[in-house]
Amino acid sequence: MIGWLEVPRSWLDSFGEIGSFGLKVAGQVYSGRVFKYFGEGLRQAGILIFGSALIIFAFCFILGLQCGLQGAYFNRSIGAPSLAGLFSAYCDLREGLPYAFGYILAAKVGTGIVAELGAMRISDEIDALEVMGIQPVTFLCATRLLGAWIALPFLYLVGIVIIYSASFFSVVNQVGDVSSGGYLLIFWMYQSPPDLIFSLIKGMVMATVIVLVGCYYGYTASGGPVGVGTATAKSMVFNIVAVHIIGMLGTIVFWGANPRAPIGG
Amino acid sequence: MAGALERGLLPVKNVFEEVGVMMILTVKTLVSAVRPPYPYGEELVWQFLFVLKLSWFPLVISTFALNFGAPGLQAAGILSLIGGLDRLGGFFVVIAIRWIGPIVTAVVVAGVAGTAITADLGARKIREELDALQVLGVDPVKNLVVPRFLALIVITGLLDLFAIVMGLSAGIAAELLYHQSLGGFFATLFSNATITDLWSSVMVCTMFGAIVAVVCSYKGMSASGGAAGVGRAVNQAVVISLVAVFFFQFVVSSILFATNPELQAVR
Repeated sequence: MIGWLEVPRSWLDSFGEIGSFGLKVAGQVYSGRVFKYFGEGLRQAGILIFGSALIIFAFCFILGLQCGLQGAYFNRSIGAPSLAGLFSAYCDLREGLPYAFGYILAAKVGTGIVAELGAMRISDEIDALEVMGIQPVTFLCATRLLGAWIALPFLYLVGIVIIYSASFFSVVNQVGDVSSGGYLLIFWMYQSPPDLIFSLIKGMVMATVIVLVGCYYGYTASGGPVGVGTATAKSMVFNIVAVHIIGMLGTIVFWGANPRAPIGG
Repeated sequence: MAGALERGLLPVKNVFEEVGVMMILTVKTLVSAVRPPYPYGEELVWQFLFVLKLSWFPLVISTFALNFGAPGLQAAGILSLIGGLDRLGGFFVVIAIRWIGPIVTAVVVAGVAGTAITADLGARKIREELDALQVLGVDPVKNLVVPRFLALIVITGLLDLFAIVMGLSAGIAAELLYHQSLGGFFATLFSNATITDLWSSVMVCTMFGAIVAVVCSYKGMSASGGAAGVGRAVNQAVVISLVAVFFFQFVVSSILFATNPELQAVR
């Protein structure tokens, strides 16, 4: 039976290791050593697009519907139904999309990487790579990070389109308190290009952390089939909390001091 | 031509098949939970404590961070521009109680306890322990799935209350950050909160627990393919639970708002 402080203690144990491992992998990408295996990086990007894009978009769509619904009813309750666009603009771009992206990446991509690399580690394939003279960290982890950096910004931008249309659908078509023109006027007024950049930065920081954590837990898996399952579960716990912490810090840094709204002094 | 159509529709067919099998497992679990004998008492307590010990810390951090960032700072920013920071309490009823409380509890429980359940059951399946249990005359659904199902149902309802408490304290922190007195926050909070908000939040959250438990148990019990299989089962279980939970939340809140006009009243 585990103790009450098991989770924080295991994080304290492994936080430094995850950090140094992540820096090592990111260094491999930054120093350009990964470009020896550029083809593998492109293949990982392709796997991300063909394997995960659809589920990311579906998740974004559901969260967009939810944002619009909550916003429409909240604005009806305070007697300003025409301002539903304000709520959806903030909820979609600034908070909802980074969180939706983080959740579904942690679930689909992060645990997927752990399962894949963990199975390789258990069946001694990683040791075999090393014997063959291929750097396993570069070939397996750095290429995945490169693939994520190639593919995910574009998936994020398409996700914005999806989440916007979902909010439009639920505010204008489902609840129907405000006309489409009135909704879109407020909706576009309460966002600006810098907001888009900040939101993208938030999402990409989450994606980077998720890929690195997944690589760490998969690369260090041990203990047979049970070990792979346990490592997958552990990476999910770490990623969920990391996503929330990054989301909060991003909001504090980007919008904490200045709400960036077109009203007030 | 017919072959191409069939191949194209194969994913759809697979989805429907999976959903159907999960429904069957749900009904089986419910039936064997109420039909005597009840051999799962000890396992139920063990699972309950296991899930609680694993998920209390991630839950506390996650709900505080999410509520402080998303509704706290963003809404406080807008409200401070229009000079109505005391209205943050009413906003937190909508966000922290109706929406973020259940959804974050479900995400954390799916990520923490659901993955542990799938990894555990999947490992047992791979080592053929489940088949051995069946040969011994022990029903795996009754002895393994039912205690996890009941434990998750109870614990998501309870953790939802903690999520609401942590969410409201995040709102208080955001209010204090803007140097506001807390009287306005609590006044609008208590005048806007209704019993319907609280019970719907807790009920929805227990249903999330049921969804997570069934999906994760099913994926664990149908794992196959050695070491990679268990990891893949955990991966699929988390993805399916998250999508199912978010979709369910959307349907439930649509129905809840449309059928309870008192939630939309101005107070």
